[in-house]
Amino acid sequence: MKCIGIILITLFIGGCSGMTHVKPWEKERLSRDSMSNAAGNTLVSKFDAHVYFSKEASKGGGGVSGGGCGCN
Amino acid sequence: MQLATKLSLITCTLLTYSALQAEDYVSVQYVHYDEESGRTTVMAPALEISKDFGTDYTLKASIVADSISGASPTWYDSSSGASAFSRDTTALENITYNNVDYDDTRTAGSIALTTRFASRDELTVGYNRSYESDYESNELSAEYLYNLDRSRNRTLSFGLSYQLNRVLAKEYTSTNDRLRDDDDDDDDNYDSSSGASKALDVNVLTAEIGFTQILNATSLAKASLFFINEDGYLSNPYMNVVRYYNQNGNGTAEVKAENKPDTRTAYGLTLQYISALSDTLSANISYRFYNDDWGIDSHTINTELYYEYGDHWLLGGGVRYYVQSDADFYSDRKDYFTNEFYASSDRRMSDFDALSYRLNARYRVNDSWSINTGVTYYDQSKHFDAIYYTLGLKYYF
Repeated sequence: MKCIGIILITLFIGGCSGMTHVKPWEKERLSRDSMSNAAGNTLVSKFDAHVYFSKEASKGGGGVSGGGCGCN
Repeated sequence: MQLATKLSLITCTLLTYSALQAEDYVSVQYVHYDEESGRTTVMAPALEISKDFGTDYTLKASIVADSISGASPTWYDSSSGASAFSRDTTALENITYNNVDYDDTRTAGSIALTTRFASRDELTVGYNRSYESDYESNELSAEYLYNLDRSRNRTLSFGLSYQLNRVLAKEYTSTNDRLRDDDDDDDDNYDSSSGASKALDVNVLTAEIGFTQILNATSLAKASLFFINEDGYLSNPYMNVVRYYNQNGNGTAEVKAENKPDTRTAYGLTLQYISALSDTLSANISYRFYNDDWGIDSHTINTELYYEYGDHWLLGGGVRYYVQSDADFYSDRKDYFTNEFYASSDRRMSDFDALSYRLNARYRVNDSWSINTGVTYYDQSKHFDAIYYTLGLKYYF
């Protein structure tokens, strides 16, 4: 699995190497809340993650900071 | 002409810079969570504040207080009453799989400081703490965001966190439960009448490396690999299994505490693509693969769609699909386990899939205030479904 993951990431980075160069003043659309997870509402995002963490056996992938809980 | 071009470029840059500046805010959210038939109800008010100090520092802090009541299903010896700690050798007719009532409160807080360097690379250092009557967790984390080009179109992130959790195992009967305990102080078991308790540690180390690429002015992609290592008391002190069911036809079985391995190592991969489909419509799709050495594989696909209606409304909806395989040591049968070392009937260790559907809306009242609301329905195949509502207010300053 590790190998597959590394290969996918390598292909992903390699595939991105020829991307358009976007200037800082062209990023207004990208900076809107609608382009973020849960529309930038981090408290709601945290609660969603908490529900999934307490009801499912998997976790991770959403950043290293999440905090522990006795719900699992 | 050249001067005019330069001036317009500077003006445009300043305007864009202003638009891209994160706003300081205070956010208050309330979540009400209900499982079917009132199995579990959670009320969770939360507060978050984010404040920039100049352009180089951002401080973010949050606090949440969960109030949980309801019941959790497990095996128990009903001749001793409906308690997760009703563990004994018992007659077959007394073995019951049912909900055991519980109440708890949890208070959790987090604080994180982001520092931006001259290169505009970022270092975020954070601390999380969570406290329940039978569980305590402290976590330190650090994440470094490295810009691979001057326009910040391509970034690498490196994250590392260490979590020390402490489980308070209470009310163990004196003879029937094996508590994970490797020291020699001969205190593995507790008599419920004494009220004794013992703290058992769980160490969690998480590492993640991520890559983000801005593809063009309307889309970006992210990928990450993560690693999680857990070490310590990973069983749930309230979960039981049944062993030696009617062995040799003696009409009895033993209700024992579950026993999960002391270590767990997991790897995973996430991929995400976010795109503006038009000036007012945005789509966000992500995939996660997870694998651990308990035998659990899972796949998660999450999609979100947002529509900006006029100057004030942001309307959103999403669907999430999750599927997992079962752990090597899981069975929900009462006639399955005999003397296997690892054994669990915790349904979260079983194979199942789950769908969740979300709708939410935010109304920006003016430059200083916004209100939001949402509803999420979560349906786990085989086991249960739940619905939760959010209501929030945000003040920008």
